[in-house]
Amino acid sequence: MSPLTPQSSPLSSPFAHNNQSVRQLMFKVQLAVIPALLVHIYLFGFGIVIQWVLAFATLLVVEFTMLKLRNRPVRPFITDMSAMITATVLVFCIPAGAPWWIIVSGTAFALIFGKHIYGGLGYNPFNPAMLGYAFLLLSFPVQMTQWTAPTEILDYAVSFTNSLHLIFTGNLPQAALGANLDMISAATPLSQLQIGLTQGQGVTESLTPIALEAQTHYQNGSVINGFFYSTAQFFSLNSWAWVNVAFLIGGLWLLAVRAIRWQYPVGFLSSLSLISFIFYTIDPNTYPPVDFMLLSGGTMLAAFFIITDPVTSSTTPKGRFIFACGIGILVYVIRTWGIFPDGITFAVLLMNIAVPLIDQYTQPRVYGHK
Amino acid sequence: MNATFMHTFIRPLAILYPMAKRWLHRFHGGVFPQTYKSLSLKHPIKSTPIPERLILPVKQLSGQKVAWHVAVGDTVQKNQCLVRAAKENKKGIIVPIHAPTSGVIHAIEMRPLPHPSGLNALSIIIKPDFKDSALNNALNVNGEVPETPQQLKDILLNAGIVGLGGAGFPTFAKLPNQTGIINTLIMNGAECEPFITCDDVLMQTHAQDILKGAVMIAQILGIPSIICGIEENKPAAIQAMNAAAKRLTKKTSQINITIQTLPAVYPMGGEKQLIQELTGIEIPAKTHAIDSGLLVFNVATFAAIFKAITLGEPLTQRLVTVAGLGLKHSYNTYALLGTPFLTLANAGQPTHSIQDPLIMGGPMMGFQVADNHVPVIKTTNCILVQPPKPATEIMVMPCIRCGECMDACPVNLLPQQMFWHSQAHEFDKVEKLNIFDCIECGCCSYVCPSHIPLVQFYRHAKSEIKHNHAEQQAAELAKQRHEFRLARIEREKQEREARIKAKKAAVKKQAQKPSDASSAKSAAMKAAAARAAAKRATQQESKQEIEQSAQADEISQNSPPPLSARQKAIDTAKKQAAAKVGSKVAPNKDPRTSAKQAAKKAAAMAAAKRRAQTSLKNDSNVTAPKTEAKTDSNANPTQTTEHSKQTMNDKRTQAMEAAKKRAAERKAQQESP
Ligand code: SF4
Ligand code: SF4
Repeated sequence: MSPLTPQSSPLSSPFAHNNQSVRQLMFKVQLAVIPALLVHIYLFGFGIVIQWVLAFATLLVVEFTMLKLRNRPVRPFITDMSAMITATVLVFCIPAGAPWWIIVSGTAFALIFGKHIYGGLGYNPFNPAMLGYAFLLLSFPVQMTQWTAPTEILDYAVSFTNSLHLIFTGNLPQAALGANLDMISAATPLSQLQIGLTQGQGVTESLTPIALEAQTHYQNGSVINGFFYSTAQFFSLNSWAWVNVAFLIGGLWLLAVRAIRWQYPVGFLSSLSLISFIFYTIDPNTYPPVDFMLLSGGTMLAAFFIITDPVTSSTTPKGRFIFACGIGILVYVIRTWGIFPDGITFAVLLMNIAVPLIDQYTQPRVYGHK
Repeated sequence: MNATFMHTFIRPLAILYPMAKRWLHRFHGGVFPQTYKSLSLKHPIKSTPIPERLILPVKQLSGQKVAWHVAVGDTVQKNQCLVRAAKENKKGIIVPIHAPTSGVIHAIEMRPLPHPSGLNALSIIIKPDFKDSALNNALNVNGEVPETPQQLKDILLNAGIVGLGGAGFPTFAKLPNQTGIINTLIMNGAECEPFITCDDVLMQTHAQDILKGAVMIAQILGIPSIICGIEENKPAAIQAMNAAAKRLTKKTSQINITIQTLPAVYPMGGEKQLIQELTGIEIPAKTHAIDSGLLVFNVATFAAIFKAITLGEPLTQRLVTVAGLGLKHSYNTYALLGTPFLTLANAGQPTHSIQDPLIMGGPMMGFQVADNHVPVIKTTNCILVQPPKPATEIMVMPCIRCGECMDACPVNLLPQQMFWHSQAHEFDKVEKLNIFDCIECGCCSYVCPSHIPLVQFYRHAKSEIKHNHAEQQAAELAKQRHEFRLARIEREKQEREARIKAKKAAVKKQAQKPSDASSAKSAAMKAAAARAAAKRATQQESKQEIEQSAQADEISQNSPPPLSARQKAIDTAKKQAAAKVGSKVAPNKDPRTSAKQAAKKAAAMAAAKRRAQTSLKNDSNVTAPKTEAKTDSNANPTQTTEHSKQTMNDKRTQAMEAAKKRAAERKAQQESP
């Protein structure tokens, strides 16, 4: 790290501190992911846990090696937990049943090329997790789109051992209900919509299969009983939407403890809602409704955990809002007219480029200056 | 009221979201450090014995003389004036120093100052005799409220009163000379720094004095309203001040006294922050509170003013908080100015032997003193004694751009950006971010999760920028002088040339006129020579035009009066060569020169050129005829007889015509090459 103390002695004021640290900040973010993690496990099985352990192991190895190579103190930087956030976000972005090398290579790429290359924490212009995800999406498009179907559709939960088998061999054990890979994967609502739209179907038709399927299972009573059954019916939310809700809850907590700033989620979600509302009003058959936009894909993950990365976003209050709005609009554009089902990655990376410009034009008014 | 309405909603919200407290005050940002005020409030004001030695530093600004009233070995009484600014100092920024107790001047020598720089200053060392015999009414006042602002200022100067809150600016110098300029007198009782309680205690015990002092100033300066701001965490002080205000208002009904409770937030006690909170006025950048009709003093200053006016007592002691987590017994005391810090710290039963430097001021804006024996001075409001630092310090991490600092900054600066540029030594960018509006309050460092000593960077950057500016200014001045000199040389040369040319043209014209056969030959020869000379001169002039535009950095010394055109041509060639070298060197010489300066320089050059040209024109119009007339009468006596019948008037007309013709000729010649 750079020599951070100018050559002026003795030590100068202030001699007090509010005892916050980077580590605490990152730890809060990590904590806030837990609701979403639990919901994810509940609805999609244990795949994500295995992925997360893999990512964490990769992180330790990569961080240690890179810090050693860069001649930096290992302990403070590995324990600042910033890499953890990168890894966690990445885990939520990839399919839970993706082969092990996906998450390993993605995490390694994100940390090495997203962070250390630029001089480590605080100096990277691009969101490392998004850079890693973009790398995976472009390199392994097939594996990256084989999404594990939620239990509500599968009718049974993929067990821990089966997930393990799947991730490391790429197949389910033959014994496991004779199921093959196709049977447990499903298109996410976003890709479903995109496929449907390209085939000339309207929004409602494209989305009915998911809704119907879920509905059928609920009615058959074959799905896990209890809370989710009834509430899911009540809100008529699909599993992906539930994960989004869990992220929303974690995110609101982060706002309260000031780990993130309100400008990000508010700017992002409001611009996304507004633009989808406008297009939905114009043509409801071609453009999906607002609630679908807000609760599908990684919308809430992005709103509270991805675009809130302070290092790669604008630093002025107004700038943050503009940054978030820009991402909201780009996400809609890419989701609706682009070739990728979810546009968050590229929207974030594009806005990362614009950050210096935004910063320059959004300087707040200093006291006493008109 | 709207404010209370806001409060009732925001208070409960602050339980869920602590930073909601920031919405309770009018200025941006602010932080809420733990105050630790009860530490020193628990105990009554402690009386500390007179120390063995008193050290009174004489603050000397460069170039300011002081008049000594005592010498080593003299016996002094309490309140006796020891030293004051010499009469010849026009800007008497130094205030007099008085003896805090009776005793003998032991020495006058260099001692460390309680200042962040750790510099030494000439100090008067008094050896007290412990009798404490005092001069009564040392300032010779009559106990009446002075009539005019000037009388008031004199008393305050003689009493040696400075702002007791922080910067220690002489109070008399802050006051206006006329009445009616100030519309609000603000009393700063915010005391937002953690640990410090001296103002709180003073307000509790001397509310009457403080308010009376304020009312006196208001009366003298014709100020209609007085507002006193006190943070809400001092209920006893608020109560005492309110009671005192009620009593006073009965007597002085024309002055409106308000005691206002303020939300407790650091830095509420900052002058600009307090003004914004109390009046809503934002002091425009680069102006002072007084320009907005406001006058702000610390409550302790008012108490000192009161004492000076009514009792004629100079400022020789002050209330000091001695507190900190390193003391078992934090306390407030009336400390004599000059009491060493360590003496006071040791009186508070330190939990450890004091090895680390003590801190003067609070934890947010105070500074570590270089030597623990430094004395209490007029601005010492607190001596902070902290326990030794734990061996493992929290490591400074890189900036994660979280913006906490920005959200905390009361001036609404961008501390993170100022930090990045300071770190990269891009001081011009730091300056553009208005670093000079930074009040060094420390809020940004306080909240930075990366524990970056931001304020330290800003102090460094500020001093670097100041240094650069000083250098730039010196360079600019030198350049201006040099350019002025060049322009003058140029002008003189052109004047000379114009004179010579006019003479030659006149000769030529004379030669062209029909004349006697006897003189025809010599006239023809002369004319030819003149033509040749004129031609050469014109060529040279065009060369000079080039030279003028080139920025000659070096030039040969005042060239001797040009004897021949050839000589001049050679000189010019030399100069041009020099100019070329100079212009090559010039751009590298001062790379810091900004575009603005370049523009200024260009304007100066243009002005110089214009001046030179006008003088040239004047020469051809005024000087030329005169020279010609002379030539007519003296150089050619034969011709003079020929034209003797012509009147002087005719001659002049002729000469003027000749000059005009010459000018036209020159113009044509100039245009042709
Ligand atoms: S608070 Fe510290 S880490 Fe955060 S932006 Fe400011 S300087 Fe950077
Ligand atoms: S020290 Fe300067 S930059 Fe930091 S918070 Fe105070 S005014 Fe703002």
